[in-house]
Amino acid sequence: MKDQVGGNQKRARFQALCKSLRPDLLRFAFWLSRDRALAEDVVQETMLRAWKAQDSLLDEAAAKPWFLTIIRREYARSFERKRFVTVDVDELIAREEPMLAASEDQDLVELRAALFKLPDEYREPLVLQVLMGFTTAEIARELDLSDAAVLTRLFRARKQLRALCGVDTSLDSQE
Amino acid sequence: MMDCAAYRRAMMADPRDPDAGLREHRESCRDCSLFTEGLLRFETRLERALRVDLPVHADTVAQVVPLRAAAALRARHGPPHRKSWFAMAASVLLAVVVAGGLWLSAAGPSLAADVVTHMEGEPQAWRRTDEPVQSALLQDALRDAHLRLAPAAGIVSYAQSCRFRGHHVPHLVIQTESGPVTVMVLVHEHVRKMVRFDEQGYRGVIVPVARHGSLAVLTRGPETDQQTIDHIAARVQGSLDWTG
Repeated sequence: MKDQVGGNQKRARFQALCKSLRPDLLRFAFWLSRDRALAEDVVQETMLRAWKAQDSLLDEAAAKPWFLTIIRREYARSFERKRFVTVDVDELIAREEPMLAASEDQDLVELRAALFKLPDEYREPLVLQVLMGFTTAEIARELDLSDAAVLTRLFRARKQLRALCGVDTSLDSQE
Repeated sequence: MMDCAAYRRAMMADPRDPDAGLREHRESCRDCSLFTEGLLRFETRLERALRVDLPVHADTVAQVVPLRAAAALRARHGPPHRKSWFAMAASVLLAVVVAGGLWLSAAGPSLAADVVTHMEGEPQAWRRTDEPVQSALLQDALRDAHLRLAPAAGIVSYAQSCRFRGHHVPHLVIQTESGPVTVMVLVHEHVRKMVRFDEQGYRGVIVPVARHGSLAVLTRGPETDQQTIDHIAARVQGSLDWTG
């Protein structure tokens, strides 16, 4: 009886954790895949795997990076399954247009389209930093890169993004 | 002393880096200070652009929790690939299970719950720092609410105009003696009396503001007691100057 109560409490806590993190996880998966349907699949699979592996989450404060690692693996698996070879960015933008354009602010619409055009290796650390609040060291750990490599990618990401958005980049630093 | 090229390169890698060397350079170089203002404005837009609204479908809630049911379905029918009639049926089934009250027996989402959920979207805001946000960013965040904030409120280290329940609202982080405190000015949300909450690691209060909706003030973690939060909320409320 005691075990059952403990199990229910644990389950409820894990459910609450999943619920609170889900919006951000879905956004992360969306920016990773640039495909909302795929992002939903990936997050659903992630939740299933997380549920089964919840005992390995020793510290709830570390839940977000723990989930993100699972998402990245799931995304990689889906990528292998579907054997995508090339990505037509314009087609992706057209497919996700209702969401990308879901803002009265034209600047945001353009910025989202520009984010779609960023190479994966620049977009991912940028999303981890800006959306997920990761530090450089945390991004480096997640992506298995050095801190210097992460900073270089973040620099290039912003530089390309600003250029794509028509920002005057003449004052930006050069590499 | 850092040169301008190194400063700009570092800022473009991490515009919110609190490094003292960067701050020192910024304060001594007008060009780089202007560059930073532009960069931070771009950063604010970038944060908003990344925070896409992903509509919540009925099955979205189901995906979060009744994992046993989902796993059982999956085991019987294979991986949940989209765009098949079965995936839709499974989603509906899961939604029904949830609607049946399997685990969501609590009341619907309250204002406090929505405020707490919003916090999850901006973890980078909770940084302990003594560096104030650029004043242009603070003004931008307050403009929609027709509001000014007196210096007595404390150092504002983060300011953003956030989409919340269909409106843009100021979302500020103020550095206090108890650490960073988040303030949301909810002009469109009216409460009849003070609402205290302690949810998902956030403790706070929502207080009514005469003719201007309400004010949410919250801290993260268990360190700050409710009485201190009430005191901070009163101080912030006293620092609000409505311009419209």
